This record gives sequence, C-alpha cells and structure tokens, in this order.
Amino acid sequence: MINQDSNKKKRSKAAKWGRRAFIGVGGLAGIGLLVGIGGTVYVNKKIRKYSGAGMGDGDSLNAWIRIAPDNTITLAVPRAEMGQGIYTSIPQMIAEELEVDMSTIQVIHPQPEAPYSNTYILSQKAPNAFKGYSIMEKIYAVLPIVATGGSTSIVDGFNNMRYAGATAREALRMAAADRWNTDLSSCKAEKGYIINTVDDEKLSYGQLAEAAAEITIKELPELKQKSDWSIIGTPVQRLDIPDKVTGLAEFGIDVRPENMLYAVMRHPSTIGGNINGVINQAEIEERTGIEKVVLTKYGAAVIANNTWRAKNAALALKLDEDSAGNENISTASIATQMDEVLDQAALATPEQHGDVEAIFDREENAVIEARYDVPYLAHATMEPLNCTVLVNDGRAEVWVGHQASSIVQTSIKESTGISKANIKVNSTILGGGFGRKAEPDYVRKAGAIAKQMPGIPIQTVFTREEDMRNDMYRPAAVSRFRAVVSAEGDIEAWENKMALQSVSHSSMSRIMPAMAVSPANDLATTEGAVHLPYIMKNRQVSFGQVDLPIQVGYWRSVGSSQNAFFTESFLDECAFAAGQDPYLFRKNKLNDHPRYKAVLEKVAAMSNWGAQDNKFRGIALHKSFGSIVGQVAEISRVGEKQFSIDKYYNVIDCGMYINPDTVEAQMEGGIVFGLSAALYGEITWDEGEVQEYNFPQYDMVRMNVSPKIENHIMENEHYPGGVGEPGTPPAAPALTNALFAATGERIRRLPIVKQGWSFA
Amino acid sequence: MELKINGKNFQVDVEDQMPLLWVLRDELNMTGTKYGCGVAACGACTCLIDGLATRTCTLAVSSVVGKEIITIEGIADDGQLSAVQKAWIQHQVPQCGYCQSGQIIAAESLLDEKPQPTDEDIDLAMTNICRCGTYQRVRDAIHTAAQWRHEENSLLG
Repeated sequence: MINQDSNKKKRSKAAKWGRRAFIGVGGLAGIGLLVGIGGTVYVNKKIRKYSGAGMGDGDSLNAWIRIAPDNTITLAVPRAEMGQGIYTSIPQMIAEELEVDMSTIQVIHPQPEAPYSNTYILSQKAPNAFKGYSIMEKIYAVLPIVATGGSTSIVDGFNNMRYAGATAREALRMAAADRWNTDLSSCKAEKGYIINTVDDEKLSYGQLAEAAAEITIKELPELKQKSDWSIIGTPVQRLDIPDKVTGLAEFGIDVRPENMLYAVMRHPSTIGGNINGVINQAEIEERTGIEKVVLTKYGAAVIANNTWRAKNAALALKLDEDSAGNENISTASIATQMDEVLDQAALATPEQHGDVEAIFDREENAVIEARYDVPYLAHATMEPLNCTVLVNDGRAEVWVGHQASSIVQTSIKESTGISKANIKVNSTILGGGFGRKAEPDYVRKAGAIAKQMPGIPIQTVFTREEDMRNDMYRPAAVSRFRAVVSAEGDIEAWENKMALQSVSHSSMSRIMPAMAVSPANDLATTEGAVHLPYIMKNRQVSFGQVDLPIQVGYWRSVGSSQNAFFTESFLDECAFAAGQDPYLFRKNKLNDHPRYKAVLEKVAAMSNWGAQDNKFRGIALHKSFGSIVGQVAEISRVGEKQFSIDKYYNVIDCGMYINPDTVEAQMEGGIVFGLSAALYGEITWDEGEVQEYNFPQYDMVRMNVSPKIENHIMENEHYPGGVGEPGTPPAAPALTNALFAATGERIRRLPIVKQGWSFA
Repeated sequence: MELKINGKNFQVDVEDQMPLLWVLRDELNMTGTKYGCGVAACGACTCLIDGLATRTCTLAVSSVVGKEIITIEGIADDGQLSAVQKAWIQHQVPQCGYCQSGQIIAAESLLDEKPQPTDEDIDLAMTNICRCGTYQRVRDAIHTAAQWRHEENSLLG
C-alpha cells in the first residue's frame, strides 16, 4: 500500500511537470518570449527573476540576453572563465544568431540558477532544445548544476546558446514588424538593428527591446548553417584579454570588499590527519595585525589585516595534531600496494572482446610484456586557492574563482548553515582551474572561517605550500600490458590491467555524495584505455582499485592523462616488435575509423614523418572529450640523454569549432601542461606527508624548454567536441616515442627528468 | 616609509621586512601584481625596480625606499598601452592571465636591455612560469613588440 501511494505521488508529480511544460509552450505563451533549454521552457515573466537577465538597465529577452537602450548587449555567461576563452566563445554563439557585433557585447556571470545548468556534464548528452523533457533537466530545475569542466561548455551550449540568440532576434524582428505595421519577411536583423528592407528604415535593438520582451515565439527558429556563419568559426579577439595586460582583471584573490581581512590556513600535516587544538593561540593573537586564531574541523587559521602577517603567524602556530593512523604511508608503500592490486583479480573489466588468454597460451606466440607507471600530480594553478566570504545576519556573500557556482553555493551552505537562497555568489575569473577549482574544499573552509567573524569579509588564501600539500591529486597509476603481434603486424591480443584510485568516486564523494559512483563503475579510470580505434583481434582492459586515504581528483584530461601515455607507448612497442614504422603500424589499423585516420595522416604529413635528417620524431594519437588529437614531437640531440624538444605538430578534429584561435591556444597550453607532467611532475609521500610543496620541488616547463607548436584544425560539420583537455594526453607519449626513436630506450615511467634525462 | 610607485608617492606603515608584493596588494590595494609562490620561483610578482625586472615576493619593502617602482598598473602611459601590451593583445597571449603581469614586466625589462632580443635572449630572460603554457605566444609577442618599439624609435629619431 505504501508503495502504491508513493507511486501515485510520483505519477502525479510527473503529470504536474508535464502539464507545466505544456502550459509553458501553449497557455502562458501569450505573455512572453519563450526560450527552451533542453525542453524546459521558460516564459518571460519567470525569466526576469534570473540574475543573468534581471539585473541592471535594459530589457531581458531571456535568461542570457539583456539589451540596453544604447544598444549595448549584456550576456550572461554561466561558465567559468579559467583561461579557455569561454567568455568569448559563448558570446560568439549567441551573437551569430542574434546578429550583433562582438564589440557591443559585455559579459556578466549569473547566479547558479536552473537555466544555466550544464546538462552535458553529467548526462553526457548534448541538449537539443527541440526534444524531450528529461529527468535530468527536471532535477536541474530544482538543483541546478552550473559547472565548467570535462571540456563540455561548447558541447553543452552549442544548440542552446544559438537558440538563445535566435529566439531573441526573432522577437526583435516581430517587434519591428509590429511597429512598422509591416510584414515580418521585410524585417531583416543586421548588426544590432532591424532594417525594413522595403523602405530602408531601421530601428536599433535598444529601441525595440522593451516591446520584444513582451512577444511570443511559438516555434524555435531554424539555426544558420555553418556556411552562413560570420562570427562562429572565426578568430574573434578575446573579450577578457585587454584587462589581462593592464593588471585590471579581477581574480578571486584580488577582490577587496570593504573592511576585508585575510586568513591563512594550516592543514593537518599527514594525509587524513586532524588538528585538535592550537597550543599557542594567545601568543599568536598578540602579534602585529593579527585579529584572531580560529580552529575549524578542516584545520586552523589565522585572520589578520594582511596576507603576509597571516601567513607568518600561521607558520608559527603550534598545533596539537594526530595522523589518523596514516603516518606509514609512503610512495614506496603505495607502489607495493598497487602491485598487490595488480596481482589480484580485476575489480572490473570494462572492455573484453574475444579471448586474450587463448592467444597468450599458444606456445608459438611471443608475448610482449611491459609495466608502465605514473605518479601522483598536483594541479598547481597559478592563482593559489582562495575564497572570500562575508557571513552576516543569516546571509552570505561569496567572491571566488570556481569552476561551479552551484558547488560554491552548496559548500557555503554546508559550512555556514545558511540557506542557498540567501547566498550570493560573485564569480570571478580563475587564475587556472584544471579541475582543482571544481572541488568544494576551499570554499567550505573559507565559509567555516568567515562564520567565526560575522560581519567582516574574510579572504582565505592557501599559501602555495598549503595549496600543493592539500591538493586532490591526479592519482598514481600502473598499467601492466601483454600483447601478441603477428609477423604481418596484426595485433592478435592486447591486454591492459590497471591499478589506481578512483577519481570519480573520490571527487564525487566530496562534491555530490548522493551521485558518487562506486570505484568499479568509474568510467574515468579507463577512459582513453578502452575503445581504442585500432583493429585488435582480441582485447581485454581491466582494473583494480587501490584503497588509500589520499584524496584524488579531476586533473586536466583525467584518465586520459595517464592512459594515452600507457597505450600509445605500448602500441609503439608493438610496432617496433613487429619491425614496422610506428606511423604506418597505427595507420594500417584505422580502417574502421576514417576521422582518426585522417588526423594521423595529416600530422604525419605536417611533420615530414620519415624524413632522413638530424631530428627524431615520435607520434601519438588519442581521442578524449569528443575530439581526436594527433601529435608528433620533434626533438634533437644535445648530448647523451640530453635533448632539445624543438617542435610539436598538432592536429585536432573537434568537429565544428567556435573560435579557431582559442582552439589553437588550448592545444598549445594542453601540450605544455602534458609536458610539465611528463618531464617534472611528481608528488611523493613520506611518513604520510607530501614532500613537494612549491615550484622548486614541483617544477614546470618554462620558456627555454617549451617547444614550437604548429597547429591544424580539421574542417568538417560534425557536432563539436571539447578542446580544453584533448591537447594534453598525447604530449607525453609523443615525446617518449621520439626519445625511443633517438636512443632505443623505452621510457615506461614518468617523470622523465628523474631518470637521468635532461632538456634544454 | 615613503614609496614611489608608478610616479606617485605613497606612505606606508609596515614592518621593514614585509615583501613589496604584500605592501602593494594588501596595503595599497594594487592587485595587478600577483602572488604565485612566495619564494621568487615563479615570477608572478615581478615589478620594475629602477627599471629592472625584480621578484617582489621576497623583496623587503625597506630595501626599495627611494627607488622607482613600476607595477603592471604603471606600464600603460596615461591609458596608452605599451608596445609590449599591444603585442600581447595582437598575439592573444593570455589564457587565464594570472602570470601575465609578471610576464609583461619581464618582457619590458628585457626589451629595455636588449631592444632586438634573439630567441636565446628570450629563453634566458623569460623564466616566469605560465601554467597555461602561453610561452610560444609570449615569445612571438616579444619579437613583435621589439619591432614596434624599433619603428616608434625610428619615427621619433
């Protein structure tokens, strides 16, 4: 009976949603402009309450577009600008259909509200405004997931942002037709004006916006074809760059609300440890400029009138700590644990075709075996973690550069007890994100600290040392491979068994515990290791979960960050075992995948593959986040185990692209990011404590090592893929394959410089 | 203490040892100069001190009294962007932009010293970290700025 009742309740709720959607399309349509997002329909009256549209001068045509009388266009861009250029590429999509110049556009960042949800990031389905009213979208209406990550912003927004522009443009045309009492077909939208093609009269969007906001669009208009684009697909200059060359750009760490104080934290020294008390609190509070020492469940903090004073005082804190039993964890103990996991039965086998064991068992077959491993990695965003919070009278205001404004809101709610409706999120640009700034920890901590000094905005800053020692690291990983390659170069069997911690389980347990997947179901673990495009007769990919108290997280390109290195290196080994050229070896196995093959052929041609000169080349091909990237690293010898990384050739097929210059910038940045990890990146533990804590211990590629990069973007009409991450994965194997070509030495472990190599 | 920053005088009342970075950011609210590492390893905090690119996160404020301090906010001349800044826009150098104040200051200093730098000069002078990996564009923009500065000087000369 109870079950029946609850079913009834569910049905009636579903019916209500359905009715609401229907009313949205039909009944209420008379009072406003409709913009559908993933089937959720928002009428004008409702839309005006959303922050992106409702604030400031001018009229809101929907949740994204506001037009002022002077014809300036304000667009609400709900994705975090962390360097990838999204404050320009989302406006390009809207402007293309709205028919406005990019120079008339201003960008604001809205509050975390339903229309701004990123549907793709969890559902992995690109929303199409015409279809469906999915369960996911209903959830978003209640619990918006306004997040930037997984290279999804364009993939998610490609239809909806164009519809946002197109529906607003249609309303403006209708308003003009009404004003002129003329046929809609003679009203042409062009560069912020509606032109009457009969008598050449024109009205600016600013003059029409008020009337347009009251108009009904009953059907979504047709979107332009690629061949008609004049803004999408062009290298529009980024809107955020002018302020980034004058020092005026405001990052989270730059906000200075009135009376603000600064807090610097001390976290537990050991992984998973606790700070139970501050021994010298009174003494520290007597120091110049120190306001207060606070203890939260996350650690201790010193609040002061200057970051430097807070930092010095925080370093001088004497703490009562415990290590929660983790004092024996070391990099060596982790490696032992990983090997134990490899020797156990797999936790999951996400890919299995044919019977690899049968091939390995045949005596006549020579089995190629190799073990690859990579270490933990820190994100090391240039802007250290920080978050500014004002708690006052049941309300909170937050200033932060974060990848997900909805996570900011939830995190502040958790640590202050203030309801989401009373939390205002001021989203700033980010000094790098790379997945680190999708985590709730630094926001929660800032909330817990600010709560102890209500009425005063507190800027909590992690020093570089605290930032690096308290990261949510890219996990260390091991792959154990076996393969059999025929005399003709066919891969008869390919087996890859991995061991690592589950990123999705660890990260989602912190972000949204209700949606945390079990380690066995974490697709991120083997992404880039499964569904390889190459023809392989028998294949098996499995993994085991390493159980450790280390927090691991999403790190630019996630599973592909290690899996491209593993698979593209071992594939190279297979090619050499078969005595074949590594490019041709790959190419011959791509007959089922013309897009991959075209990328590979293009990058080989660009790099003059096979040339007899004093250069050595390595090739790698990898698909991640919906885009295929081929890279060739070109190196030259400087001395024994000393090389110059002269150049990378990079080809991407990301389907249709929005801004070719930002695509290229992401490829350049992705390669350097991958190279920094390949050459130097390693986080180690001893006695439960992280050993690397600043750039001298955790170095980066700098100008002198950074290669030249030549780009090519494939031209086609496929749906867009992501570009923020796919440049990173092939960078390491392209380099190590080149080093093999030069020296015959196969590099199976990163980072490279710790194995006696050097680069200039 | 009196400091001369971007041609103006400022009075600050702080400890002698406070690094210039934190005087700028937290005492004077000039936030264009960035905190990246605190150990002079990344260059995000670079300012011109008497014309030379200097990392200010380890530079005691008392040591710059009486010196000419130029921060990123003082690079443009009365709203007119410098050749380096213009080249940075031309080449669309910044991604996240956090390190770029320091990169631009380092480039200004390099070009003051070597008006036509070679790639090797750039490798030696530009040691700032850019986590976004904009190095190729930084290099190209420095060459462009060198060219523009040369053309400006020829016109003036």
